Amino acid sequence: MNALAERFAPRDVGSYFVYTHEAHPGENYPHHTSWEQKLRHARDLRDKLGVSRTILVDSLDGACHRAYGSMPNMSWIFNRRGVPVYKSDWTDAASLENALLYFLDVLARRRAGERLAPFRVQRLDYRNHDRDAFYRGLERAGRKAVEEFKTAGL
Amino acid sequence: MSDQDLLRAYNYASFTRENVLPWLNFTAAPPLGETAPDFPLWRLDGTPTCLKSVWSRHAYTIIEFGSVT
Repeated sequence: MNALAERFAPRDVGSYFVYTHEAHPGENYPHHTSWEQKLRHARDLRDKLGVSRTILVDSLDGACHRAYGSMPNMSWIFNRRGVPVYKSDWTDAASLENALLYFLDVLARRRAGERLAPFRVQRLDYRNHDRDAFYRGLERAGRKAVEEFKTAGL
Repeated sequence: MSDQDLLRAYNYASFTRENVLPWLNFTAAPPLGETAPDFPLWRLDGTPTCLKSVWSRHAYTIIEFGSVT
C-alpha cells in the first residue's frame, strides 16, 4: 500500500491510514483503554511496521470507523467533494490501483469535454489469501490473538 | 448503551464471535455517490484534523482503516 501511495501521489491522489481498534488484541497490543495507548499503538504502525502514509487516529469509541461499517481492514476512495467512489470491505492494492486508474481516466475524459454521468456498479474482486502472513500478523499481537482467532472460527 | 459501555464493547478485550460480529456492518456504510459524513480524527502528535480536510486536498483520496493487529 505504501508503494501504491507513492506511485499515485504525483497524480493528486492522497493516501491515509485511519487507526481503529485492535481487531485481534493480544499480549503485545491489548485492547485500548486510553487515548495515549491508542496513539502509542498508532505510532508503532509507523515506527515498527513501516507504514509511511499519513496515519490519523479515530476517536477512542471508533465513531468514524463505526459509521463506515467497522470492517477491520477496509478501504475507501473519496473524491475532492467527499463523495465515496469506491468502497471495499478488505484492502487490496491491486483492486485500489485498478479503481484509481479508472477514476483518473474519468477526470481526463471530462477535461477532454466528454459529458459523463455516474452509475453504480457492484463487482467481486479477488485478493491473495496468504494464511502464513496473516498468522504472522496475529503473532505480532501475541499468542492470545492466535489462539482466540483459532477458537472463534471466523 | 452508555459511553463507557460503548468504549468497552468497541475496544473488546478478546476476539470472539460475540464481541466482533455485531460491529461488522459494511452493508449499512455510507453509499457511493453521496457526500459522506465527516468525522474528527487526530494526527500522531495528537493535533486534531478531520476527514473532510483530508479528502478536500486531493483529486482522490484513499482511506485505509486498520490497526497493528
